[in-house]
Amino acid sequence: MKKLLIGVGVIAGALVIGGAAWVGMGSNKATDEVKELTIYSGRSEEFIAPFFAEWEQESGIKLNIRYGDSAELAAQILEEGKNSPADLFLSQDAGSLGAVSAAGLFTKFPDSAANKIENKYIAGDRTWVGVTGRARVFAYRPGAVTTLPQSVADLTKPAYKDKVGIAPSNASFQAFVTALINEKGEKFAEQWLTGIKSNGAKIFLKNSAIVEAIDKGEIDLGLVNHYYTWEVSEALGRKIKVENGFFLPGDIGNLVNVSGIGALATSQKNDAAIDLINYLTSETTQIAFVEDTHEYSLISGVKSPEALPDLKSIGSPQVDLGALENVQRTQDLLIRVGLL
Amino acid sequence: MGVLILISQPLIYLIIRASEKSGTDVIALLTRQKTLEVLGLTLALLCIVVAVNVFLGTAIAAGLHYVRIPYPRALFVSTILPLAIPSYVFTYTWIALIPSLQGLWAAAFILVLSTMPYMLLAVSISFARIDSGLIEVARSLGLSKFAVFTRVILPQVRRSISAGALLSGLYVLSDFGAVSLLNVETLTVSIQNLFKSSYDRSAASVIGLLLFLAAAIFVSLESVLKGRDFESKSAEGFQERIRRVNNLPLSILTTAVLALYSLLAVVLPFYVLISRYLQNPSAVAISDLATAALSTISVAAMGAFIAFVLSLPLAFLATQGASAFTSVTEKVTLMAHALPGVVVGLALVSFGSRLGPLYQSIFLLAFAYAVLFLAKSVASTSAALSLVSPQLKEVAATLGKSKSRVTMQVVFPIALPNLALGVLLVFLTAMKELPATLMLRPTGMDTLATEIWSYAAISRFNEAAPYALLLVLIAAIPTFILTIPRTVQKETEKKVSNL
Repeated sequence: MKKLLIGVGVIAGALVIGGAAWVGMGSNKATDEVKELTIYSGRSEEFIAPFFAEWEQESGIKLNIRYGDSAELAAQILEEGKNSPADLFLSQDAGSLGAVSAAGLFTKFPDSAANKIENKYIAGDRTWVGVTGRARVFAYRPGAVTTLPQSVADLTKPAYKDKVGIAPSNASFQAFVTALINEKGEKFAEQWLTGIKSNGAKIFLKNSAIVEAIDKGEIDLGLVNHYYTWEVSEALGRKIKVENGFFLPGDIGNLVNVSGIGALATSQKNDAAIDLINYLTSETTQIAFVEDTHEYSLISGVKSPEALPDLKSIGSPQVDLGALENVQRTQDLLIRVGLL
Repeated sequence: MGVLILISQPLIYLIIRASEKSGTDVIALLTRQKTLEVLGLTLALLCIVVAVNVFLGTAIAAGLHYVRIPYPRALFVSTILPLAIPSYVFTYTWIALIPSLQGLWAAAFILVLSTMPYMLLAVSISFARIDSGLIEVARSLGLSKFAVFTRVILPQVRRSISAGALLSGLYVLSDFGAVSLLNVETLTVSIQNLFKSSYDRSAASVIGLLLFLAAAIFVSLESVLKGRDFESKSAEGFQERIRRVNNLPLSILTTAVLALYSLLAVVLPFYVLISRYLQNPSAVAISDLATAALSTISVAAMGAFIAFVLSLPLAFLATQGASAFTSVTEKVTLMAHALPGVVVGLALVSFGSRLGPLYQSIFLLAFAYAVLFLAKSVASTSAALSLVSPQLKEVAATLGKSKSRVTMQVVFPIALPNLALGVLLVFLTAMKELPATLMLRPTGMDTLATEIWSYAAISRFNEAAPYALLLVLIAAIPTFILTIPRTVQKETEKKVSNL
């Protein structure tokens, strides 16, 4: 009797599952219309959620958004492989996109997609595209610094002794050092790091802590991303005495890294995914990004964040952003010179 | 057997990933200067924290239990609350107070503050159960109070001290938040760095196995230290009233130490968070808070339940006489506890992403909590079951009770407080777990910990504050309930004295 019951149960279960699968397949074919899209987002909810909501309204497609740390989400996608439920991956930095791309998990998107974005900020193989620009700057306290530095190399000079703040454990600083190694060689990078260390640079954990220290007058300037002046001011709920400065055009200290997006090769919903990519890289959305997040638009001609020069005049160095993926060598170097 | 396979998932994952590297690469990675330094630093930190916990923790727990102090229950609860504060939030608040906080000693200080509750909980519960008849006998034989403590009480709680040491040590090995913020590169930080900054999963897994090995050595050392069980306690010992030492200087000292601990580990972190909030108060949607709290409680409770169910057969077998299989299973469980959340998370991603709809469901997340924290449950449960004297079981058996009835009617009631403790510990730590939660939660579900993380990641500690506060409040409730037996005793005392 027991066996019979179990048998009936198993058959019933199989029927239900099979039936559901059948119905599922049927409906997929019948409507062909995408109802939901799953996106892994390394960008924080606070900044990006309103944009996603707007796209949902426009497209009528529901977004399942999974927020996380960009690098951890990249590791998760690598681990999921072809079973990944994700259709899209939006990342804070190009390095995480490079890692997923190198594993062959992104699909190439057509030339017609994201066609407004400058080519410099699109992966060479068109597997991912930049969404916003994040410029490396020196943040400083106006009045405290008499002569502004013209190149990162200046920061090792006596004029800036004990006045500079850096965050060597931070991903954005490491991306900058990686670019420094890639462009100028490891020897040059090592000399610069040793120089800045012996010049009494103060070590911080986060970019925001550097900006706060400048505001308090503990240091005069620091190497950070440009939007931290707004972020800190918003977190503290008041104006702060910190401004952004750029080095001379072409200096490696003016590196512009990007947040970007790629569509997964395993996704069956590439049309909808590309529609979302087009939305994020459209001129209207880009203008709103600049206003809301104070990051740079990657479309030439769109106004830069308030009071900052535009991307062209910064003269960001020509760097393969996807190649900033491997920072192991950078970390080994930072450890060797004693900054990590 | 099934349990062993389930909980070995992270280990299997590490072995598969690590084997992608060639033998020479593995040897080069393991023998390079940096790996050795990191290993040395990790072991140093482990020794310092465990040593301080064993001595200070036992002393504080003894004070809580045997010295007359004002509001013992409130003080007890307040010393347990640090368990609910996520490591990175806790450390962040300390760095906000002392910006220069860095290095090994700072990390040891922070980790002692945050792991002390494991010691206090484990030891306090044992203190509460010591057969007071034995103490009376010792006193009547002319032993001084101090001698009673060192010669009668301490030997009986040795096993609990060692369970507390074990849990706090494994916490040190797996912690990422505190050590990374304080710039101390332990094995866990190395693993995380390898995963995150070079996407080198194989190298990370090799270091992961090294961490596992370190945990193995630590766990075996612990089982040597805890010695053989010679404690036997009676069930009614639990009901006996506690005689607190009434000595003014000692009372003042104990109260001061307890107050200082609560100040450093609970009040100061909250002072920082609340003052950050007040600097820039922002409207927090009550509905967001409530949803996050509800999901946190339900998944953590599910995780605690699964861990409890999985730990029962393990602990039960372990006390039935040590077969090689159960002792291996128990040790693997404990060692797995040293692995950082990101490893367990990725292992379950790798294995779970093949499960279709189960992947990124609350079931898999709850299961992840069970795997991560099973050791807490096993450690407390087996300590609990060892409290039951074999004679008692034999007597019950000779009275013609079946094995299962002996378990239900004799063993279970005696072990109950410790079993509850195990469930509580899993629940509390699961509530604040972050890395595995981020990877395995259903898409779109927020827990209190993920909300705190998402605000802290963009430096908005003001907005993270309400979530952190709620997390601790929720943690306070079960902790409070766990201390109830003490009041029951007090009320009985009152009733008795009124007669």
